[in-house]
Amino acid sequence: MTDTALKPADVRPETVDNRRKAWPRWVAAIVAAPAIFGAFAAVKGVNPLAMYADMLTSLTDPTQAQTVVVRAAILLLAGLAVAVPARAGLLNVGGEGQIVIGAVAAAGVALVTDQRLPGSVVLVLMVVAAMVAGAAWAGIAIGLRLAVNVNEAISTLLLNFVAIDIMLGLIYDPWKDASGFGQPSSRPLEETARLPLFTTGGTVNVGIVLAVLALAGVWFAMRRTAWGFRLRVVGGNPEAARQGGLRVGPLLLSAMLVGGALAGLAGLVHFAGTEFKLRPGMTTSFGYVGFLASWLAMHQPLRVALAALLLAAIAMGGDSLQIDSGLPAASLNVLMAVVLLVVLGIRRKS
Amino acid sequence: MIVVDVLAGGVRGGTAILYAALGETLAERAGVINLGTEGSMLTGALAAYAVAAGTGDPWAGVLAGALAGALLAAVHAFMVLARGANQLATGLVVLFLGAGLTAMFGAAYVGRAISPFQPYPIPGLSEIPWAGPILFDHDPLVYASYLLAPTLWWLLHRSRAGLVVRSAGERPAVLATYGHSPMLVRYLAVVGGGLLAGIGGAHLSTAYANAWFENMTAGRGFIAVALVIFAAWHPLRAVGGAYLFGAALALSPALQARGYGFNQFALDALPYLVTIAALIVLGRRQVNAAPEDLSRVFQLTPTR
Repeated sequence: MTDTALKPADVRPETVDNRRKAWPRWVAAIVAAPAIFGAFAAVKGVNPLAMYADMLTSLTDPTQAQTVVVRAAILLLAGLAVAVPARAGLLNVGGEGQIVIGAVAAAGVALVTDQRLPGSVVLVLMVVAAMVAGAAWAGIAIGLRLAVNVNEAISTLLLNFVAIDIMLGLIYDPWKDASGFGQPSSRPLEETARLPLFTTGGTVNVGIVLAVLALAGVWFAMRRTAWGFRLRVVGGNPEAARQGGLRVGPLLLSAMLVGGALAGLAGLVHFAGTEFKLRPGMTTSFGYVGFLASWLAMHQPLRVALAALLLAAIAMGGDSLQIDSGLPAASLNVLMAVVLLVVLGIRRKS
Repeated sequence: MIVVDVLAGGVRGGTAILYAALGETLAERAGVINLGTEGSMLTGALAAYAVAAGTGDPWAGVLAGALAGALLAAVHAFMVLARGANQLATGLVVLFLGAGLTAMFGAAYVGRAISPFQPYPIPGLSEIPWAGPILFDHDPLVYASYLLAPTLWWLLHRSRAGLVVRSAGERPAVLATYGHSPMLVRYLAVVGGGLLAGIGGAHLSTAYANAWFENMTAGRGFIAVALVIFAAWHPLRAVGGAYLFGAALALSPALQARGYGFNQFALDALPYLVTIAALIVLGRRQVNAAPEDLSRVFQLTPTR
């Protein structure tokens, strides 16, 4: 590197062991972010202390706490969908599109089968379809990368919009629910084929189990398998990997396909666990928030889980914000963004 | 005439994207990619709308929009340049910041009326068949963008300042050797890029839609970032690209107005597919055209 005058952003995944220095960053994020967001709220004439009290109180409410778990499951999968390719040095900005396509594939399977086959069979088919579709959608991007060297960060980002247009195109016309009161959406999933709930009347579904299983799988694959090791070698120093005889292309392909499959699974969990039908705006930026969760966690699987839980709790706070303080729920993006800015900013000044 | 309608709509709808794309060209030429362009457009759109509503003057709105866009881009510049944060991740965070702030402070302006920019047909030129209605029957911000693109091209490719900006994107170390500060150049380029994106947002709210609503940019900032690559970091090529996207956006309402039953969303997806197709076709040239220091942000791993 000839560049000595300024230190550019190093975009390779984190390899420096800064575990010892992790805590000041977290303390700063925990203190600074609410302070800055509170200042914005105060400008809007909302008492920040009362606002935070309301938000914390709302989290102790069992219904709301369950919603946090439901969202954390989806965010965890969306975060892992970024973390696995990131290990190989790939930027998957396309979680949003892969989630949507996963949900579309699950919905497509459901529309054909859910009134004919037993619920559990439909569910299994939906899981497979969603994961294959998510992987295929990510596969377009990595295929273009390997074949004609189109950057995957750009192509995955663009494919997000295409995926959303595909979903909208389907639910405004061929899949439109005739009994949907004029609202564009697909027919609701039959109750038998929905993800089972833990408690009757509750909202926590089996999605969290799927997410934790995926977490365990990713953790094991990264830490204990040759594949995970090779991915890290490619992500750490691709030239060394190639010199060492690793086949970089197939490794990149596999990392991205796994990422896409995880995002597709997130789409299924959201569709079959919470939404039950496709509708405009159903994903509420899960893919992008998942991307940020992975960066917040430096692409470490276990930390992605913590980050997902944190971001899910913040998003939940948004709903209470709307009710208690009259601020739009999207205001919470400010709090989330400031948390991430503090963490990204404190992380490294090499 | 449907062709005239679509092309005129392409110019009108493409202008916001053009401003943002020109701004992003400036930033990327200096070696910084800003995915937060979408956020700068949003804050620009809201600030312009709010000030236009308060003062009754859309020009004051444009000024406010430009400042708001620049301010948000300054956050990106600080994080990336001073703190060494990842450019792509920070850009997304900045987008979320812009989306959140505009949702928070924009709710009061939903449904408020303003006195927007009016179309100002240029006497004489607007009478020309075809070209007149397509090019010369628009609001002043559209005309300003006609001047901005060649100006930026001249600045980047024919002036000394442009040489400094492009050097910052290619070989910052060389620039430093000649006594310039690559850091300062990049700050100015990113903030200047946000300023232009803010004007783009202002065009959207005070001349195009004449309204403010949450997330009104709907991905135009991302299109602008893609467009810069599509245009191989060249300001004049960005003009054609922006109008192509604008025309794709204008095509579906034009078809529907004439009773053609087209699936609107197939058309909505078109700009993104065209960009991807262009990236494939231009694949090899892209690699050469990219500012060298910028391409390091992308080229993390070899392809095989």
